[in-house]
Amino acid sequence: MTPQAKLIFTTSLLLGTTITISSNHWITAWAGLEINTLAILPLIAKSHHPRAIEAATKYFLTQATASTLLLFSAMTNAWFTGQWDITQLTHPTSCLILTSAIAMKLGLVPFHFWFPEVLQGAPLTTALLLSTVMKFPPMSLLLMTSPSLNPTLLACMAVFSIALGGWMGLNQTQIRKILAFSSITHLGWMAIILSYSPKLTLLNLYLYITMTAAVFLTLNSMKATKLSTLMTAWTKAPALSATLLLTMLSLAGLPPLTGFLPKWLIIQELTKQNMAATATMISLLSLLSLFFYLRLAYCATITLPPHTTNHMKQWHINCPTNTSVAILTITSIMLLPISPMISTII
Amino acid sequence: MALAVMLLDGASFHGGCCRHRALLSFLGPLLSNSKSYSSYRRPGAEPKKKLSWQNVDFSFKKSIDHLKTQLSLLKEESKDFLQGPGGHALRQHVLEQTRVLWQFRSQEDLNKWVISSDVEIGGKSKAYIKLGRNNQAALLYGTLNTEVPRDGETKYSGYCSMRSKPAVGSFNRKKYYDWSNFNTLYLRVRGDGRPWMVNIYTDPYFSHQKDDLYSYFMFTRGGPYWEEIKIPFSKFFFSSRGRVQDNQHPVWLDKVRTLGFTIGDKVDGPFQLEIDFIGLLNDRAHTEEFAYETYDKNTPV
Repeated sequence: MTPQAKLIFTTSLLLGTTITISSNHWITAWAGLEINTLAILPLIAKSHHPRAIEAATKYFLTQATASTLLLFSAMTNAWFTGQWDITQLTHPTSCLILTSAIAMKLGLVPFHFWFPEVLQGAPLTTALLLSTVMKFPPMSLLLMTSPSLNPTLLACMAVFSIALGGWMGLNQTQIRKILAFSSITHLGWMAIILSYSPKLTLLNLYLYITMTAAVFLTLNSMKATKLSTLMTAWTKAPALSATLLLTMLSLAGLPPLTGFLPKWLIIQELTKQNMAATATMISLLSLLSLFFYLRLAYCATITLPPHTTNHMKQWHINCPTNTSVAILTITSIMLLPISPMISTII
Repeated sequence: MALAVMLLDGASFHGGCCRHRALLSFLGPLLSNSKSYSSYRRPGAEPKKKLSWQNVDFSFKKSIDHLKTQLSLLKEESKDFLQGPGGHALRQHVLEQTRVLWQFRSQEDLNKWVISSDVEIGGKSKAYIKLGRNNQAALLYGTLNTEVPRDGETKYSGYCSMRSKPAVGSFNRKKYYDWSNFNTLYLRVRGDGRPWMVNIYTDPYFSHQKDDLYSYFMFTRGGPYWEEIKIPFSKFFFSSRGRVQDNQHPVWLDKVRTLGFTIGDKVDGPFQLEIDFIGLLNDRAHTEEFAYETYDKNTPV
């Protein structure tokens, strides 16, 4: 892709995200979401492989439907209450439709079917953008409307997301699909605490973005998209494989790594809100996703396969990994000791 | 309006005896299930089957049996899911370098494949399959006839093919083969010197992709000895509806639906292919990613 085209698409992505986040009218929010959708489509379909084009088509169809539903919910709210302000979404039907629209945008169950396929069809860097940057606008809309949303619906979707994200990720051999299911699980954790403490949702989002970016950039350096390729990546970048282990366990939410922080605070808040049973259920369901994170870590670091790689892409690149991988890995592993400070910043 | 509908219904029902009526000939193309008007059916194509809704058999017992079979299939699938990727432990997935996909030892194995030839378009080739000597191989044999069917629109003819039936899971869901761990197709065959084409069909989600096929050639020797042919997946080129495309890319092996063999080498005469087994190999010495170079079109000046 020419640099000019890449620049246009990247700027459009940033523009769309900024427009949605900073808007207070539903139409500008919707415009930002549409700009984002359209800008990322060429990035997904860059290689013109039929699977990439299929992924781009699926992405476009689901996101367009979700944007339509979003606009519809805004219109029904405006019809009943006369308000176009995002924070003034009060009509219950509009709130329900908005929740389902945002769930479709994010990939929460039961609107998650597109997500693994789209991530599988996209190249690794675009998959990173899909998992991180594209979560910002819908999350910001959820945060702005969080007081009016139905907690039961959100809790149901969240619990099912954590469950299905764990179960469906169990037998995957393609890493991008595994990371898609990990994303679904984390979105479940973000959604469950939204009605009670939106700040924790935001904290979870930031830490998830840090950890996922670290993982994706590491995988991009290793050019590993399948488990079998990941197993032989240690020959080319042994230190990176070692840090990938820690980043994976951080994504799984194991103490004393950073990923434990959002889970701990969410469980604490849920217990305070008399939802101890839900908290127990989601903690137990997270064990499923721990299984596939451990499997990834096992393949990358813990075992040494009896053969070397015949995946030539791993030997093509001689340039060193860029600095951002180091910074993101450190932040995704070592932030737990300063957790009191982080809770006050968010 | 209702009268017009009743008239149409009546006309279609009595289609056979109302040929002379001017009204019927005027409305002919509109009456799709009328017996007096039928679209051109190629000789060799099957006559129009009953529509699927006419086939419904309201039998409670059959439906219970069907449900029981599907539930048992679902139970099997869940058990395989708990084992690991592809129904085996991860250890096996990571360490395996060979896998046998199809081997021909019984009639059941033969039933997993579908034979077709140009009889569908009105040609005269013949193709049959049976178990070889001592039930040790499948024997695909027949005669290729390149005589073009005289229907005014076909230009070429003469092909026979054998294609695996797509895997179907419980409740008729599509199941895919995941061959991403391997990089070579391994076939133990005994041919008669004729070249065959090996075709891989990957899952088309959208209908514009339904004609996409990845193919390569298998050149057989005629000898009495068995041959072990290795075809790396990097050699497969991409074609759509028989036309090789300009934009080439390697085949993605994580969602393969069927494998097929076709003979169409424009030579009249008998052909014979014995296949012992079809398997996969992870050839660690094969490092080629893709055999065909693609050049940028419209390079900047």
